[in-house]
Order: sequence, then C-alpha cells, then structure tokens
Amino acid sequence: MKKRVLAAFLAMAMTVALVTGCSTPGSKESSDSGSSNGGGSESGGKKRITYTLREDVPSMDPQNSNSISSASANIHVLACLTRNNEGEVKGDAAEKWEVSDDGLVYTFHLRDGLKWSDGEDVKAEDYVYGMQRLMDPEVASDYAFIGYILKNGGAVNTGEAKVEELGVKALDDKTVEITLEHPAVYFEAMVSMCSFGPARKDLVEKYGAEYAADPEKAAYNGPFVMSEWKHGDELIMTKNPDYWDADSIKLDEICIKTVAEAKTGVAMFEQDEVDITIVPSEQVTQYADSEFNTESYFTGADDYIMLNQTEGKPFANKNLRFAMNYGLNRKEYNTLVNYDTYVAAQRLVLPDVTAADTTYGEAYPFEPFPLENDEAKAKEYLDKAVSELGVSSPADIEVTLLTTDTEGAKKQAEVLKEQYEKNLGIKVEIDQVTYKERLEREQVLDYDMVVTGWVPDYSDAYSYLELWISDGQYNHSGYNNPKYDELLAASTTETDAKARQDLLFEAEKIFLEEDAALVPLQLRQDTYLVNPKIENFNVYFVGYDFNLVYADLAE
Amino acid sequence: MAKYILKRVLLAIVTLFVLTSIVFVLVRLLPGDPFSNPKMTPEIQANLEAYYGLDKPLVVQYVTYMKNVFQGDLGYSMKYEGRTVNRIISESFPYSADLGIRALCFAFFFGIILGIIAALNRGKKLDFVCILIAIIGTSIPDFIMGSLLQYFFGIKWRILPVAQYTSFKHTILPSIAVGFYTLASVSRLMRSSMLEVVTSDYTKTARAKGLSEFRVTFKHQIRNAITPIITIMGPTVASVLTGTFVIEALFAIPGMGKHYVDSINMSDYTLVLGMTIFYGAFLVIAILIVDILYGLVDPRIRLSGKKG
Repeated sequence: MKKRVLAAFLAMAMTVALVTGCSTPGSKESSDSGSSNGGGSESGGKKRITYTLREDVPSMDPQNSNSISSASANIHVLACLTRNNEGEVKGDAAEKWEVSDDGLVYTFHLRDGLKWSDGEDVKAEDYVYGMQRLMDPEVASDYAFIGYILKNGGAVNTGEAKVEELGVKALDDKTVEITLEHPAVYFEAMVSMCSFGPARKDLVEKYGAEYAADPEKAAYNGPFVMSEWKHGDELIMTKNPDYWDADSIKLDEICIKTVAEAKTGVAMFEQDEVDITIVPSEQVTQYADSEFNTESYFTGADDYIMLNQTEGKPFANKNLRFAMNYGLNRKEYNTLVNYDTYVAAQRLVLPDVTAADTTYGEAYPFEPFPLENDEAKAKEYLDKAVSELGVSSPADIEVTLLTTDTEGAKKQAEVLKEQYEKNLGIKVEIDQVTYKERLEREQVLDYDMVVTGWVPDYSDAYSYLELWISDGQYNHSGYNNPKYDELLAASTTETDAKARQDLLFEAEKIFLEEDAALVPLQLRQDTYLVNPKIENFNVYFVGYDFNLVYADLAE
Repeated sequence: MAKYILKRVLLAIVTLFVLTSIVFVLVRLLPGDPFSNPKMTPEIQANLEAYYGLDKPLVVQYVTYMKNVFQGDLGYSMKYEGRTVNRIISESFPYSADLGIRALCFAFFFGIILGIIAALNRGKKLDFVCILIAIIGTSIPDFIMGSLLQYFFGIKWRILPVAQYTSFKHTILPSIAVGFYTLASVSRLMRSSMLEVVTSDYTKTARAKGLSEFRVTFKHQIRNAITPIITIMGPTVASVLTGTFVIEALFAIPGMGKHYVDSINMSDYTLVLGMTIFYGAFLVIAILIVDILYGLVDPRIRLSGKKG
C-alpha cells in the first residue's frame, strides 16, 4: 500500500515537473519571461534590430573571416581604414589619405583619439599587424588571396619573403603606408574589407587560435562591439559609445539569429520576432504581392555555364559555343528555375559595378546574346560545328552537364538539358555530384560543361574579368586568348580611369562576342522581408551583405 | 556478474576504437577537402593543410589524432575558426538532450496511456481513435508534422511561438514533433502487449479472486504489459537525445543535429569524427546499459555468455 502511494506521488511529481519547472538550456531565468526579443523593439528605449542568418557566423576573427556572413558582422564591430556604404567610400579610422602619382603608394592618416573598446589606443601598428596576419602563412587565412595586391603579398603568403617585407608600414603611430603590386583604383574600397582590418597583437598572442572566438577574446573599435555570442543561436552587437562617429550610429543593438530554415525565418517575421529575413525564392512572388515590405538586392553572384575549352573536348569548338549561347532561352529558364526572382544575364560583368563615376552597365551597355533563343543563328552555328566536328547530325554531339546534388541544382540542370535537347537536338547527360566534388572536378578540368559562378571581391569589372586570364588561378575553362590577356594587363597599368574601363569593356566584348567563352545565365538577387520601420539598411554585393551600421528605427 | 560487465565494457571500447578508425579513413575518401571553395588557390590550400597538420602522412595524422582522443581532445573544427569540437558538442548537446527528454516524456507518457485505452476498449470507437493517432504518427514524417504544428499553432492561431528555444512555451511544438513517431510506436506496442495480458490466465485468476477492476488493470495487467516498452527505450533514447536534424533546423534550435549533416557536407574532418565518436559512444553506452539490465533480469543471458 505504501509503495503504491509513493509511486503515485512520484508520477505526479514528474508530470508537474514536466509541465512547469523546465527551464531551457541557455535561457536566462530573469530576462526570459515576457520579453520576446525581436520585432524592432523599442522597449525600454532601446533600438534593436534582429536579423536571421542561415548559419552561425563561422568566425569573428577579421583575418580568418572566410564567408560573407563573417565579413558582414565584422564591418559592424571594426573600423577599417575606410568604410564602404553601398559603394560610397569614405574615411573611417583614416581621416584622410594620399595616393602617389603612379597609384602604387597609399598613405593613410588615422584620426586623433581613436580607442579600442578595452581602452587601449588604436595605433597604425594595429593595421599593419592585421595585414601581416592576413598574409602570414602560419595564420593560414582562407582569404589571403585578397591581399596578393599588397606588395610582396604573394611572396609572404608562400613563405618566400618574411612577414616584415610586406608592403605595409607604420610610419608613426598614426600613419599607415601601403604599397601595392600594381595600381588599383578600387583599393580604397577594398581596404574597407575586414581582411585588411586591424588586429590586436597582444590579444592574438594571448588567445592564439581562439582570438575573437568569444566576445571577450577580442577588442573592437567599430560602431558596435560584440557583446554576446551564443554559438549556433545568436550573436549580439551593442553600440560602441567610444566610436569616433558614434553620433551617426542610431541603433543600440543588433541581434543576429541563426535560423537554418528560411521558411522558419519568414514565419518568425510574421510573428514579429525578427525584423529582417531572407525569403526563399519559391515564396518571393507570394510575399511581393502581400502587405509585407520586401526588398531585393543583387548579391553580386553571376552564374554561367562554364564550357571546357581544352583540346579534344566538344566545347573547344567555337561554333558549338555560339550555338549554346543562341540555343538557350534565358527568359524561360529564369521563369522555370528562379520564378523570375533573379535577372537573366546576357553578359559577364554585373552592370551595377562601379566604372569611373557611373555604373559599368550604364557606361557600356552590351547585349551579345538574346534573351530568348534565336533559332536561325543557333542553327547556323550548329551546322558549322557539326561539320567541323566531323559528325553526321547534332544528335551525335554528346555532352555532360556537371552539377551539384541539391534540389535547386537538379531542377536547373533538367531545364537546361530540356532546352538544349529541344532547341539544338544535341544530347545532354546530367552528372550530379557533391558541391566539393564539383569544385574539385572544375579545378582539374574534368567536365564538359558546368553551372558555376563568381562573386566579386571589389566593385569593378576587373573582378569578373581577371578570372579568364589564360594563366589565371581561377581560370578552370581552358580559355586562352593572348589579345584578352594583353587588354587586362594593360588595364592594370592604365592610370586614366576612363581609358582603363574602355580596355576592360574591350576585353569583355572579345570574351563574349568573338569567343563565346561561356554561357551567361543569371544574376542572383536575394529578397528580404524588412520591417518597414527600418531606415538606412542596405545589402551590397561586395565586401558584405547586411549593413545596419547607419540604420535607424522610425518612431 | 562483474566479469560479464567488464567483458561488455571492453567490447564497447573496442567497438568505438574500430568505428573511429573506419570513419577516419572514410571521411578522407570523400571527394573534395575541408578547404575547397571557389576562390581557393594551391598556395593558400598548402598553408591551411600545414596549419591543421593535414600535410603529414596519414598514419602520422592518425596516431596524433588517436592520442588526442584518448586524452579527450577532439581538436579544432575546420569550419568554425577557433572553436574546438569539444566545445561545439558541449554547447549544442544540452539543447538536443533537453528537447529529446521532453519528447521522450511526452511520447512514453501519452503513448502508454493511448495503448492502454485502446486495449481496454478493443473494437470500440475509442480503440479506433487511438489506432488512428498511431497511424498518423508513424506515417507522417517529422518535418511535415513540424511544419503543420508551426502553421496551425504558430501562424494561424498564434497560440505558441513558431521557433527558437528560449522558454517552456517554445519547447512544446518541437517536443511534440520529435516525439510523435515514438508515441505512435509505443502506443501500438503497449496495445498489443496489453491485449496479450488481458486474455492471459492470471488476469482470469485475478478476476476470479474477486479483485476490483481497478486493481486487476493496474496491478496485474499494466505492470506485466509494460516490460516490452522498456526494451525499446535504449536505442530510442540514444537517437532522440543526440539531436534531430530536421526538427532542429525547422524550429531554429541550436542543437547538435545540424552538425551531423553540415560537417559531412563541409568535409570538416575533425567535426565529423567528433560527432561520430560522440554519437557512437552514446549508442554503445545505451546498448551496454540495456545488456547489463538484461543480464540482471534474465540469468540465462550471462550463463550462455559464460559457456560461449
């Protein structure tokens, strides 16, 4: 009898415990009740914006930042020499700077009284150390390639030169002198990227590999400081009152929430739990027509079908490459695959990149290939290709389309296969592999055609065009045209901005109009649900995506 | 008995050792490597390989890794700069375990009750309702269940939060989504096991003795019928507690589930190995406990072990 009473009591206790007393891991008992944390809250007079990211920020170490999410978070907590706000570049830690006549030497002068969040003075040496870290082979930064523009950058990174030989010097506590390998009009914008940002030698030495892995393991000199980081859950940045331009910073807090599933992010937005979230492409039309506020931005990603032009491969034949370009209905493709949320691409360079004082697209309009397929032209080129390849009909041309094993990539490949088999009558076989294997096969040129793309590192046509230099590190297509190489080489030494852009456009024309070296496919756009109260928020296509530095919440 | 337990423990350690070794080799056979990305160059790749010690011969890497593992050090993740695998596991496991325990409580509590109700009302309307719930639970995949719960309770009726894991309210939907499948299988098992008991001789005897229906049900039937449920607890606990990829992603819970899938996609060697060892150890321990319990309950098992 006693036993039974005890058992009943225990069962009851368990049920009660289950229903009430449970605190979840990581929850703070006090702040937990009542306060939902998103929704552009101004509760308690605090202006806070929450946005979602699909994955946790991989790293907050500026030199080891290897993803756009890391870079975006870093521009909020660091003051680099310059600051890029949607393409507009101005001094951040640097008050002013001079460029030598040959465009090779940049001298940056730091502002007075700059402080780190732990009270230390910001010194020119911190920037020098940051760039040395970027190139130091021992640090092994993924993003070191961006610093090859610095004098001796490549030599330092491969261990051929000492770190001290890098072309970056502190002339005194407040002057940084940077020497480049070649002139680059885009360097002022480039140096705003966190890879070139400052790092604290004393803290790096103290924390080693764990530098910046937690808020207290780094110091900050930017508009915000990292105040909390629950890995995999949320990262919180709070306004830095000691930032030199703190008056221009309106927000008190920015919260980055990890929400792996985009649809969940959208549901959270509808419940006012987050202020900014990405919309999955299949829901874009639905939300664009709804009462919610959506905004679309180019990500800079430019997707194309890369054609393997090495000898012996079908696409070594130029006429076949032209046939591929005229035989594709880009408009239909964009509707079927992307629900028209991307923009069909007809050229290589993103039209939005900077060209002297305008955009490249406006300065150099160019439509080498039609939006819809051109049957007559496709046939003309295909007939030539058939006779040159020595086959009897287009059906004898068999090519393999290499693609990734995701749902989206599968659909993409099937639409392309369908179009080419229908419009050209050639045979296309789809080969789906993992993302990593696709990259590997691209690198060793083990493919016929592959859907791939490029994300630029600076807003300039050169960023897209330098890929295809015949001995370029990233040229995995076998494209080789001495004329193209010459034009690009000439552009690096040309100091007149307009003349330089002309050279680049000339190269793009050769690449597509003469050589049909690839098949432009789409310019990616991301669409976000944005709380309409948010002002001065932007998404940009180089260096960062989210930028809430100057954002504000309307009353 | 001590000898039996010792033997099982040793076997468990060997199992883990073999498992780790196999995965160590397999993960390197995956196409690509942890550092490949569209902008990787051979020079930078070489620096990264040297940094993580991947430039050394595989045997040397294996010995170093095993040495570290025996000291409890699973190494640094290759994707998450500056974070050790130990840390990633210790930060994410509490979420998965918390969710798992809630889901299991929900599943076993309601599963057993449903099973009993169904068995006691065999062939009646209530029985069909319980069977229907069981069929729904086993046939609807967890991500659909999760999405439906989110849609109705979160978006349409706005009773519960759609995602995150910060208060009790937040835990309700994911717990149900994770536990529903187990609930269904528990209720089916409980029902059939109850039915066996209901028609057994000792039930008849108990009734013949003139015991009250309450005592017959609780003291004689349920106590006997519940034993098979315990046997399925071991593996269920291990799989539910170590995280569920889909539900955690759907409800934005920072648990371990995503690391199983992500680490393989990213070829994050150390994280893949760490997750394997952790999950393997969890499963092996769960099975070990069940084995030992069996040994305690049923002497025939340890005796046959002695003979063989």
